[in-house]
Amino acid sequence: MVSMRLLIIEDEKKTAAHLKKGLSENGFTVDVAYDGSEGSQLASAGAYALIVLDVMLPRQDGWAILGQLRGGGVMTPVLFLTARDRVEDRVKGLEMGADDYLVKPYAFSELLARVRTILRRGSSAQQEVLRMADLEIDTRRHKVTRAGRNLHLTRREFVLLSCLARSAGEVVSRTRIVEEVWDINFDTGTNIVEATMRRLRAKVDDPFEKPLIHNVRGIGYVLESR
Amino acid sequence: MFAALAMCSSPVKSEATPARSQRRPWSLVARLAVFYTLATTALLLVTMAVLYGVVVRYSDANDNLFLNDKLRAVRADLAVKKTNGGELLVEEVASEPSDYFVRVLDRRTGKVLAESPEMGKWLWPSVFPAPPPNGHIPEEGSEYKTSAGKWFLLMSAFAEIDRMMPRPVVLQIAQDRSDDKAFADFFRNLLLAVLVGGAGCSAAVALLVARRALRPLEQMVAAMKRVQASYLQPRLNRDRWPKELDSLAAAFDEMLARLKESFERLSAFSADLAHELRTPIQNLRGEAEVALTRTRTADEYREVIELSIEEYQGLANMIDNLLFLARAENSETPLNRLTFKIGPEIDIILDFYDAAAREQNIGLSRQGDADLYADAMLVRRALSNLVSNALQHTSAGGQVLLTVKQANGSVEIHAQDTGSGIGPEHLPRIFNRFYRADAARSSNSGGVGLGLAIVKSIMDLHGGSVTAESKPGEGTIITLRFIQSEQMSRSDQHRTNLQPLV
Repeated sequence: MVSMRLLIIEDEKKTAAHLKKGLSENGFTVDVAYDGSEGSQLASAGAYALIVLDVMLPRQDGWAILGQLRGGGVMTPVLFLTARDRVEDRVKGLEMGADDYLVKPYAFSELLARVRTILRRGSSAQQEVLRMADLEIDTRRHKVTRAGRNLHLTRREFVLLSCLARSAGEVVSRTRIVEEVWDINFDTGTNIVEATMRRLRAKVDDPFEKPLIHNVRGIGYVLESR
Repeated sequence: MFAALAMCSSPVKSEATPARSQRRPWSLVARLAVFYTLATTALLLVTMAVLYGVVVRYSDANDNLFLNDKLRAVRADLAVKKTNGGELLVEEVASEPSDYFVRVLDRRTGKVLAESPEMGKWLWPSVFPAPPPNGHIPEEGSEYKTSAGKWFLLMSAFAEIDRMMPRPVVLQIAQDRSDDKAFADFFRNLLLAVLVGGAGCSAAVALLVARRALRPLEQMVAAMKRVQASYLQPRLNRDRWPKELDSLAAAFDEMLARLKESFERLSAFSADLAHELRTPIQNLRGEAEVALTRTRTADEYREVIELSIEEYQGLANMIDNLLFLARAENSETPLNRLTFKIGPEIDIILDFYDAAAREQNIGLSRQGDADLYADAMLVRRALSNLVSNALQHTSAGGQVLLTVKQANGSVEIHAQDTGSGIGPEHLPRIFNRFYRADAARSSNSGGVGLGLAIVKSIMDLHGGSVTAESKPGEGTIITLRFIQSEQMSRSDQHRTNLQPLV
């Protein structure tokens, strides 16, 4: 598979460096622009699959670049990064044609997930049956089997497992899990998810030889066959 | 007078802020002085107009009466006179010039039969008014100004000479009123002078009085200027001021008190914040430094990094919570109020904490349900904080119970635990930021003492309240009270019905 080209427009060198490193290691080809004018030139010229755009930039801010791009007919998806998270800012960004919005400080896994979501968007319909090794999740009939054996999960455990399975192989952050499974988008302060996850693993992994759900400490969980 | 006013108001103006684009209201001193002066002047004007009118009218009436009398007397004299000749008027008219004049004209020929000396110089027969018919004598004469500028009052009447052999004549009589006119003019000028002088004096007095009356205001400004941000004293002390400024002084003092309180809260908050940042940063630094003191295995490095990510997450959460509090305090948080069933919302939160509670062997349950008109996400957040808090303070085998009660006009949610309870000395402060009853509590039990502060700010945003009761050793009940106005929720339901479902 040809790796996708991403453009990062970010004036803060350290941020740009870790973004580039992280995204490159996850299979993307990454270009970096350190100011607005360079960024908008590259963005209009190059064929990028996605642009990661910081709002606060010297000379030309993120809003202006986005406006210029969309005005010039460049419809490359844009993921905004910002330290400001007032509701108006969010709305402004989305109205101007940004595809998503992340507030600093964010987890890198979160950024990666959003990037992948945007790139995937519209490309594939949701699968009815999710598979990972010998685990099979039938999302339509709410049925989970592993090695042919029926697993009896609660409704919440089912949603949790599907959430991991849809991003199989990727680390899903705790924040994202809490948001997707319980629709809670605020800090719950404690590592409450762990307890629920332990119960899920007791059903999905413990009776079997090879665990599929792994804890990535400090970040979240991943469903993969190691 | 107005020049004086302008001068007076200018020093007041120069102290104020530079001119703004819109017109500034008048200075109070100018206002008071102008109104006072206008009132005084109007009063003076009316008084003098009346005085002038009375005097002038009296002198007019006097002159008319005199002429009328004279006319009557001369006519009576003529009636008994034998005719003939120029000697006719010798007795009736003083031969030397006096201040009144008489003339007799033949009625048929218009020929002058007799006249006072010098009368012909200014007062030709034609300038007199026509005599009233039927031998009446006019009550009021007409005024006439000669080309030489002298004023006369003129009257005329029909008369007869010699009743035995009547000869009809016209009698013309005039009085020199120049002196009266001169007096009236003088009197008018005098009154005008008094008026202008009086107005000027009253303006000066008004200025003095107004300035004096407003002096306490300047003193108050001076007192206010002495107040400094770092030291919110001295108070104005309401007893020192006149009655009208009393409430201003009191309001100012109250404002100072509030300011002082928030200043103190703010600085305490900054200190707490700095303190709370120290611990995680110390942890990060310590871990990293120790890790670098010698070469370690990849797994060891990994562990350091993983630990640091947890610290970072904690810091990020703290920032989120602080921002939430700051915005709630400035009412920047928009409320998306809807009417919804609170029961299912509580159940979601209980479900979220269910696994953790089971592990700790704590029972989690709910009782009751109600319609609530509120921002569902914020209510969830408050509930989540309450449950999380209750779980932290309850030991194995305990219970956490959420009860919904509907009282008239309000919905109450009680979060009751059978935990360790809160000492009475801590109870009033548990809703403060960064306040933790057990100071030594380990930070991994979650939060940095912002949870209940957030609950309180959410309740404040909703115009509700949060209260806590606790018995150490027995448990704590925290009560959220949402005021529910029928009208409020109904109008909103109406509105949401109109909105398209997105």
